[in-house]
Amino acid sequence: MSSLSATIQNVFNEPGCGKNANKSEAERKKGCTKQLQPGGAAGGCAFDGAKVALQPLTDVAHLVHGPIACEGNSWDNRGAASSGSQIWRTGFTTDINETDVVFGGEKRLYKAIKEIIEKYDPPAVFVYQTCVPAMTGDDINAVCKAASAKFGKPCIPVNSPGFVGPKNLGNKLAGEALLDHVIGTVEPEVTTPYDLNIIGEYNLSGELWQVKPLFDELGIRISACISGDGRYKDVASSHRARAAMMVCSKAMINVARKMEERYGIPFFEGSFYGIQDSSDSLREIARLLVERGAPADLLDRTEAVIAREEAKAWAAIEPFKKRLTGKKVLLITGGVKSWSVVAALQEAGMELVGTSVKKSTKEDKERIKELMGQDAHMIDDMAPREMYKMLKDAKADIMLSGGKSQFVALKAAMPWLDINQERSHAFMGYIGMVKLVAEIDKAIYNPMWEQLRKRAPWETASNNWQAKAIAQANAEAAALAADPVAAEAARRAKKICHCKSVDLGTIEDAIKTHGLTDVAGVRTHTNASGGCGACAGRVEDILAAQKAPTAPLLQAAE
Amino acid sequence: MTQSAEHVLDHFELFRGPEYQQMLANKKKMFENPRDPAEVERIREWAKTPEYREKNFAREALTVNPAKACQPLGAVFVAVGFEKTLPFVHGSQGCVAYYRSHLSRHFKEPSSCVSSSMTEDAAVFGGLNNMIDGLANAYNMYKPKMIAVSTTCMAEVIGDDLNAFIKTSKEKGSVPAEYDVPFAHTPAFVGSHVTGYDNAMKGILEHFWDGKAGTAPKLERVPNEKINFIGGFDGYTVGNIREVKHIFEEMGIEYTILGDNSNVFDTPTDGEFRMYDGGTTLEDAANAVHAKATISMQHYCTEKTLPFIKNHGHEVVSFHHPVGVTGTDAFVMALSKLTGKEIPESLALERGRLVDAIADSSAHIHGKKFAIYGDPDLCLGLASFLLELGAEPTHVLATNGNKEWAERVQAVFDSSPFGKNCHVYPGKDLWHMRSLLFTEPVDFLIGNTYGKYLERDTGTPLIRIGFPIFDRHHKHRYPVWGYQGGLNVLVTILDKIFDEIDRNTNVPAKSDYSFDIIR
Repeated sequence: MSSLSATIQNVFNEPGCGKNANKSEAERKKGCTKQLQPGGAAGGCAFDGAKVALQPLTDVAHLVHGPIACEGNSWDNRGAASSGSQIWRTGFTTDINETDVVFGGEKRLYKAIKEIIEKYDPPAVFVYQTCVPAMTGDDINAVCKAASAKFGKPCIPVNSPGFVGPKNLGNKLAGEALLDHVIGTVEPEVTTPYDLNIIGEYNLSGELWQVKPLFDELGIRISACISGDGRYKDVASSHRARAAMMVCSKAMINVARKMEERYGIPFFEGSFYGIQDSSDSLREIARLLVERGAPADLLDRTEAVIAREEAKAWAAIEPFKKRLTGKKVLLITGGVKSWSVVAALQEAGMELVGTSVKKSTKEDKERIKELMGQDAHMIDDMAPREMYKMLKDAKADIMLSGGKSQFVALKAAMPWLDINQERSHAFMGYIGMVKLVAEIDKAIYNPMWEQLRKRAPWETASNNWQAKAIAQANAEAAALAADPVAAEAARRAKKICHCKSVDLGTIEDAIKTHGLTDVAGVRTHTNASGGCGACAGRVEDILAAQKAPTAPLLQAAE
Repeated sequence: MTQSAEHVLDHFELFRGPEYQQMLANKKKMFENPRDPAEVERIREWAKTPEYREKNFAREALTVNPAKACQPLGAVFVAVGFEKTLPFVHGSQGCVAYYRSHLSRHFKEPSSCVSSSMTEDAAVFGGLNNMIDGLANAYNMYKPKMIAVSTTCMAEVIGDDLNAFIKTSKEKGSVPAEYDVPFAHTPAFVGSHVTGYDNAMKGILEHFWDGKAGTAPKLERVPNEKINFIGGFDGYTVGNIREVKHIFEEMGIEYTILGDNSNVFDTPTDGEFRMYDGGTTLEDAANAVHAKATISMQHYCTEKTLPFIKNHGHEVVSFHHPVGVTGTDAFVMALSKLTGKEIPESLALERGRLVDAIADSSAHIHGKKFAIYGDPDLCLGLASFLLELGAEPTHVLATNGNKEWAERVQAVFDSSPFGKNCHVYPGKDLWHMRSLLFTEPVDFLIGNTYGKYLERDTGTPLIRIGFPIFDRHHKHRYPVWGYQGGLNVLVTILDKIFDEIDRNTNVPAKSDYSFDIIR
């Protein structure tokens, strides 16, 4: 059993990760853990990432080993749907106390596992490590091993305490736990040439079920979904599937790739967001299955289903297109991949005016550019004021985002629709696209927005917050325009690398002074892109811009 | 025995016991000429059809489950809003017991009100003696500062002349000659409780302003900067009047609430029984004639009062029970316009908070269909608010609404694209509503406690907003006016929406995959 740090190193070394592949050996070792800026607002931790990735396994008990904070705050906070067992929703925690911190909590953990097995008898118990017992040295691997042996029931250690890194790392560590302890431990009772794994799909709002009938019709069997509406036994025997579809690329790429490596299960990365994407994915699934020995007629049958479903979806969207054509959408999203939603929106006749790329990979960005054109407005962070300005200048009609950004949108009086995990509607597949379009239509035409944007009747045109905000922004812009020195300072102060807090000026100076030509060089001299690496693209752009006018060495010589 | 002294069951449980079940079944079988259950079921289903609806709407004489009460109820409601005033209803005592229980059951407070207890001989010979004795007894027993007289049908049918009767009573020494006894004729066979409110309010103002039935000189109006406020008949009077006072105070406006019953319907438990509490002082009621303007929150509660006030030189403004952002905006803007006072930042903040709350939750209300019934002004206020939220007030019904009211509701529908498929039903009752709910179903019903039968029969979830609300407590303490009130109405609606979502998803192993923590 590898140590936690070795597992993390292993995850960092993921060859399937495009971003990782672009890194130097030294950089790779440092990992993709974005070192959080102390004092800054931050997202979820590795524990949370592991928990959300595995929690949709519905028939196992998820036991959080730690003080009440970890389970108390995260209990049942995702809208993943189960078609059977509800035990995944029950909040199990060891709720450790001071004595456990001083004397160790392993015994309590062992007893908790015992009580779960006695009272609930689930097919498996997943044990989540958290910061406190990780620091005091509770060995959950050993406890799980002992419990598994004693009770004859798989107890799976999920070793992803919060402090090791961000949520995304936790997703991957969850995948490692499945690879180490679950996948391949049970032989399936039956196999068919049509067995498919779906990886990185969480069945939020039951959206997988919107696609499943199509699989059923085609005779494609989901041998395991990791992890939406998943069953322990299915996941444990998923190594016999013929092919796999990876849905959320960043979260579980290690699972897909290692299953290919270990069990020869080919995978592709696809999405069921949008009509075109759904069709492409179905085609790809059919192709992979046929390649692995399924009867070739699957291809034709798939095409027939695609044709029928596309026609149905288009017909259902048609009445909306009239109302939505030309509507401008601002897309701020984390989990649901930006580019897959982009295609979906364009199908409904909408125009995408901007999208967030905070969590998108380089490939994601390339695809966005492909879809939206080179002028794609990619946003790392957007202040309410800017958002309101976009709205005011008729640059956007609606914002689609996750729950966390909703308040920014609402305060900026921007129509808003939730498309992340806490949403209450299922947007997957052909039906999901129709639903998404209907929901966008509903959101845009909600009269409440008009109310929201209207100033109070006693406020004059110049004396309301919107006007003040715009005036302030304009004044700042005017001040900069009038003062070239300040403007240059402002330009140079633009933060390029958020992790290491490096601004544009520093990078430009470094490039000039040292005649740098690549990202690695910039990283060596300024530390920029030494964190999560997400800014490498921006650094490349700066390098390109700097190279154009004069040769750096010449300039340095001057 | 199902019932035993060791373990006494209440009626929920007791009659489910086997003996009672057997007894009831036997009684039905042997004495009640039971119909074929299949036939009963057939009729039940038939009563849900468009065919039945057509017959139902063709009803001419019969009213079934009316959504209105009678004039004197409104008169009593007004009377208790004045300082130490005893409502005195001239007529039969049974009616008065109804008003008292109606108000008590809604506000969960004692309701003090007396009648002249007319009997058969009074009906034959006129109720003068009952008035003379009644006023004397009430004056001596309950020590009111004023007695406000209204009437039941009995007195109206025989044509008792209140003005003359009160005059005679004073001559006979029932009450001192200078004692205030305003009056209003409030026959139940005309209008409804909102009409009674109007008549009683006008009666009291007329008394003070126009020379106390010829016993004093008329008041000469010396205009000041004050604003009079009339709430109208309102089940939320406790919360609403306090909220309105808050708004006046935030704006720095001097005001007089006419008929301030916010305290008498919300007396504290501190060892002292308050037969009277709070209320507009008689001095203020008289001086209200000097006010700059008068605002009525409910147009149909002041159809006669407001023109009367206008004739005294006031500016007058009336609203239709404003609820929500636009409604409250109009109200505070009117205050600002009448007084020249600016709307303070504190109210702008309250407004912003309401707008924010609407934005946070609107997706859940937007697109939902509602049926509303209640008093005419309340219906208008709620319909406007629902349209503001992107909901559809599909059926709007007021038993005490008239044609002119219906036109106003239609105008509200016409002002929004969401009003396109909405219809207004003046003068209809809750049995009509039943047909509407069956033939054109909606997502939610808004109405008073009596709506629970419709909820049970049609399965349309009931959101309790209106009067009376007997089966839920303390709603009257929370305003529905002002920005805070808008928030309360929003939350009331949302609570039911979320309850419904939960109810529809809570079956274990069946629908609970959507039984979510986060909504």
